[in-house]
Amino acid sequence: MSARDRAVGPVFPLVARDEASAAFFDAAARGQLLVRRCRIGGDVLAPETRTCPRCGSADLDEVVVSGRGTLVSWAVVHQAPLPSLVPAVPYISALVELAEGPWLLARLVGSDPAGPRAGAEVEVRFVPSGEPSAPPAGEVLPVFALVSAPGTGADAATRADGPMSEGEGRATS
Amino acid sequence: MTGADLAAIAGLGMTRLGKVYGRSSTSLAAEAVRLALADAGLSLGDLDGLLISGGIRQDVGVSLAGVLSTGPLGLLAQVNAFGASAGAMVAQAAQAIAAGVASTVACVFADTPLRPQRPAGAAWGAPKAGAGGAVGLAGWQLASGATNPNILYALAARRHMERYGTRSEQLAEVAVAQRAWAAGNPLATMREPLTVEQHQASRPIAEPLRLLDCCLVTNGAVAVVVTAADRAADLRQPPVHLWGYGQAHQPRRMLSGSDWGLVTPAARCGPQAMRMAGIGVDDVDVCELYDCYTYTVVVTLEDYGFCAKGEGGAFVAGGRLAPGGKLACNTGGGQLSGYYMWGMTPLSEAVVQARGQGGTRQAPRNDVILVSGNGGILEHHATLVLSPHRRRGNAA
Repeated sequence: MSARDRAVGPVFPLVARDEASAAFFDAAARGQLLVRRCRIGGDVLAPETRTCPRCGSADLDEVVVSGRGTLVSWAVVHQAPLPSLVPAVPYISALVELAEGPWLLARLVGSDPAGPRAGAEVEVRFVPSGEPSAPPAGEVLPVFALVSAPGTGADAATRADGPMSEGEGRATS
Repeated sequence: MTGADLAAIAGLGMTRLGKVYGRSSTSLAAEAVRLALADAGLSLGDLDGLLISGGIRQDVGVSLAGVLSTGPLGLLAQVNAFGASAGAMVAQAAQAIAAGVASTVACVFADTPLRPQRPAGAAWGAPKAGAGGAVGLAGWQLASGATNPNILYALAARRHMERYGTRSEQLAEVAVAQRAWAAGNPLATMREPLTVEQHQASRPIAEPLRLLDCCLVTNGAVAVVVTAADRAADLRQPPVHLWGYGQAHQPRRMLSGSDWGLVTPAARCGPQAMRMAGIGVDDVDVCELYDCYTYTVVVTLEDYGFCAKGEGGAFVAGGRLAPGGKLACNTGGGQLSGYYMWGMTPLSEAVVQARGQGGTRQAPRNDVILVSGNGGILEHHATLVLSPHRRRGNAA
């Protein structure tokens, strides 16, 4: 994150917990990705799922998953969809398929010289939301990175600054 | 079933479209209904059914009947399947007429998302982040950044591109063709010629989608009047006969094996409507396809069977959809260059084409017109098959 960005606002908008999401964010703070699982058939489902799409059961519990998966699709966002995301652009929103089956919408962080591609291996990373230097910090958020991407240091993990986004971001100003 | 030809569109009403400020959606809706009735040579006293749909703002409802001071109605409802609403309303009107519960049904769409001194891109609402930020799992999803249709459709389009090799230059062909059609439409917002190079140079919104892949935002209202085919024949305008209709809905399947972004509910809906109409894609003279994004046109053409799955990008290349091309498509400029009235954009232009009132943009043949509506993030679909001719005795 650059000094310029800090002046504008956090790259990850501040996210607060509610009662229903407390276990999810507690897990994230421990470095674990918590999703749902159908008690009937064992299907592993996205965290926000209410009904198992295979059997129709609403009897779901929670399970920690590996955090590994593959990239289904991604979008390089240049026009922020809401004011709290303005400091983040350009960023990558990704559709990730976890190894256990469910799809998640999450930020793709870090950079990779090869750039994203469908089917690329990804793994979960955890980043603070809100402005870390200006408490109160928000909850820890699961995000994803290409497995070959550099480490999870703040510079690498918080912006989509890879050659791909720069190369395709011409004629924006 | 072959009874769909019992209904026809007898009237079309369109208010001023675009930066129309100082009018409520309800006021515009009322005007569009009056215009549609007058177009048909009917009066408010003839109206016994009213179906209403709103757009981004969703601020028009059944109170419209009171605003119009209608007489007794046998059918009154608000319909919302997003971009599929227009097709759904026409089908419901036809069903009500066939069932004898109404004889003259107005279907109206109205929206006023544009505000003075606010960019059009701000029209789409986003999840509200409170003063303290976003909350719960919804907050985590907000932080994913995929919070509006531009980004979600970009994810769908990217998946199609990665799987099938569809290229941005091919999406550009859709925008370029529609702009060429828009030149002949006095109601179109964008009528200056457009090139693939200009499309490629337009600023990225959510790659792979660029500005010129995305629809306009429009204030205004559009209404059609549906009545029995026999009655429509005696009215002021040439009747536009309904040969077939269909709806298909599928919540986004967010799990392994999902074909989201590759196949849409149009794949079920189109064949259903064409089967009812007794036609196949080879019979279609004009397509009016819902085009919230260029990509939507490509995937809908595939799903309807105009080309094999995955070949939509190649199909639209070389000006196939443009004036003089092999398939007249979005002949009024669509929502990319014409006006953004959700499903009423393709439907209104289909009525114009079926009547032969397209002027310099009239398609060379108009015997069978296919109309699509797509809503949500590829979750809702409606199809209509329209024709200037009654179906019986005309089916090939």
